[in-house]
Amino acid sequence: MQTTSLLARKREREVRKVSAVFLIPALLIIAVFIIYPIVDSFRTSLFDWNGITAGKKFIAMNNWKELISDDTFWKAFRNNIIVMVLSIVIQMPIGMAIATFLDRVGKKGTIFKVLWFLPMLMSSVAIGYLFKYALDTNTGLVSTISRMLGGKNIDLLGNPKTALLTITVVICWQFIPFYMVYFMAAYSSLPADVYEAAIIDGATRGQYFWRVALPMMKPSIKSAIILSMVGSLKYFDLIYVMTGGGPGDASELMATYMYSNAFESYRMGYASAIASGMFIVITVISLVTMKLINGKEEV
Amino acid sequence: MKRKLLKALAVVLAGTMALSVPVYAKDEKTKLTLWHIQTGTMASCLENSAQRFMEQNPEYEVEVIQMQNDSYKQKLSMAMSAGETPDIYIHWGGSSMIDYVEAGQCADLTEFMEKDNYKDQFVDAGIEQCTYNDKIYAVPVENISVAGIFYNKDVFEKYGLEEPKTLAELEALCDKLVEEGVAPFALANATKWTGSMYYQYFATRKGGLEPFKNAAAGTGSFEDEAFTYAGEKIQEWVDKGYFNEGYNGMDDDSGQARQLFYTGQAAMDLMGSWFPGTVIGENPDFIEKVGFFPFPELEGSDADQSLCVGTVGDNLYSISENCEDKEGAFKLIQSLLDEEAQKERKSFGKIVPLKNYEAEDELTQEILDTVNAATGIQLWYDQYLPSEVAEVHKSTSQEIFGNLKTPEEANKEMQKAMQDYLAK
Repeated sequence: MQTTSLLARKREREVRKVSAVFLIPALLIIAVFIIYPIVDSFRTSLFDWNGITAGKKFIAMNNWKELISDDTFWKAFRNNIIVMVLSIVIQMPIGMAIATFLDRVGKKGTIFKVLWFLPMLMSSVAIGYLFKYALDTNTGLVSTISRMLGGKNIDLLGNPKTALLTITVVICWQFIPFYMVYFMAAYSSLPADVYEAAIIDGATRGQYFWRVALPMMKPSIKSAIILSMVGSLKYFDLIYVMTGGGPGDASELMATYMYSNAFESYRMGYASAIASGMFIVITVISLVTMKLINGKEEV
Repeated sequence: MKRKLLKALAVVLAGTMALSVPVYAKDEKTKLTLWHIQTGTMASCLENSAQRFMEQNPEYEVEVIQMQNDSYKQKLSMAMSAGETPDIYIHWGGSSMIDYVEAGQCADLTEFMEKDNYKDQFVDAGIEQCTYNDKIYAVPVENISVAGIFYNKDVFEKYGLEEPKTLAELEALCDKLVEEGVAPFALANATKWTGSMYYQYFATRKGGLEPFKNAAAGTGSFEDEAFTYAGEKIQEWVDKGYFNEGYNGMDDDSGQARQLFYTGQAAMDLMGSWFPGTVIGENPDFIEKVGFFPFPELEGSDADQSLCVGTVGDNLYSISENCEDKEGAFKLIQSLLDEEAQKERKSFGKIVPLKNYEAEDELTQEILDTVNAATGIQLWYDQYLPSEVAEVHKSTSQEIFGNLKTPEEANKEMQKAMQDYLAK
């Protein structure tokens, strides 16, 4: 009896040792490429530095003070929140609807599955250019259709009121396929007997969806929301390609503002303060949301 | 005994090492790296020059690296901060050259330039642009490029229009085009520097070179009347519909303005003199329809009306302070402008900043005449100003175009950015 428990303990100790060894490469990579840059960004944010010269000037919290009173940063933050809310509100339901449709039609829907997944396979830059031409005020698709219907040219990207919303729609176009696949995976993990039991008990398909499938997929939906949230808060690509944050700062996001400070204005110190600010903001929002979502479940 | 043997062995080893080092060094060629941003056929022109240089100077091995324009400044600054500055690199002069010089990344070339009066071969304004604190830090190589107005001859002919001499004439012409339903100017201003050219020309026509020079040095102000005039004029033109619709959302780099120009939906394009080269590349048959006139004069202004906005040299080639063989590197730069290379550049429509340059076609000659007639050149604001102020200029000028800010607000913001920078 005692020998077996001794053996078990020894075995356990060895497993622990081995697992530590296996974890070292991953830990090293995380330390070098994630933890070190984060710490270094915070450190750099205390300096006035153009990113080129050897001499950095220590200016303590000046960059942070500037950040807090910087209207453009808060405008960018508001824009990020807009993108975040719209992304969740638009992408989740449509992704879920498409996934439900595909789940129901089964094999017959393969062609749709492939077609709808296509946007996900394209690079963001290609999508950006594609839509830039499609939305061109004078020669683009949207304006041409509007003229055919007797309307005027439509300027979406050059109008500060519509630029951000337009790009958000393109972002949704790009990412709905991702959530489609995500929710399809969630569907396939639902046991088939639950469906059969529900139908035998006389549930309609609608009732099955709202009362059975949706609650059972709650964990997947939650993590999808968190994913979409974090993704929107650090979003960069399409804005950079399509408007560069303009006109003025109408479609500026935190990440594009950071980029233009670091690599266009050469204010590496201030850009690091923006990056660190983003890190704090995103972490806080994610933690709070996770608490809120998980808290509800317990009640 | 053993120790003696070891000592002897050490001596022998040291001896062989000492002997082998020089032999090894002789075999090894001096390596020079060159970063440029030319594309297509122009890139092969640089490759050819490097090839010729290596044939004539077999002790060198040259690595010519083609960089992408968009991310060039970033990559160069990363290389500099990593201590891996290429031996020869290009930049655009102005404040970034000053930054590189102050950072000890840019070698003083005065001695090389003065040898055999080499610098006298260059257009004076070009050398001026490479000079900082009375020392020459770069060689102007690629192109004279000034902004001017390119127009579609067919459209002008169709509506019986003539090249205007004064701004009043230009405005009358624009009014006529608006009536006919043609956009007078093709503008894609998501790119920002495109609209900034209008601002620069208006300010230069109103106040000459002084207001900008003083404002940038901190002795003047961006709230000077020349800049107010520039902003107000732009908004006046916007209100009158002188630009195509949707300009603030369009991107010049992907050709959205030229599309309108080619199709005749817009009649003119205020653009740098690289424009014909772009047209030849994109739409070779169209070049015959392209005409040029300098930015018109402002009547009743005290300022010199011959001034041009642009650059003489465009890409300036500098040598890294860390380069091991600066003389060799300078020779390589010279080979970029040898007779063969001059011919090649010319065939691509480039105007090299050398005094002996002669144009072959009418369009180039017109641009050249404009430059030669100019008593001075206003270097592009975004190249002259320190990058962080330049960014503010570009975005405020876009906001002026979008009627998002009044000229006063925009210029005030500009002045604050400049002061903040100078206060550092």
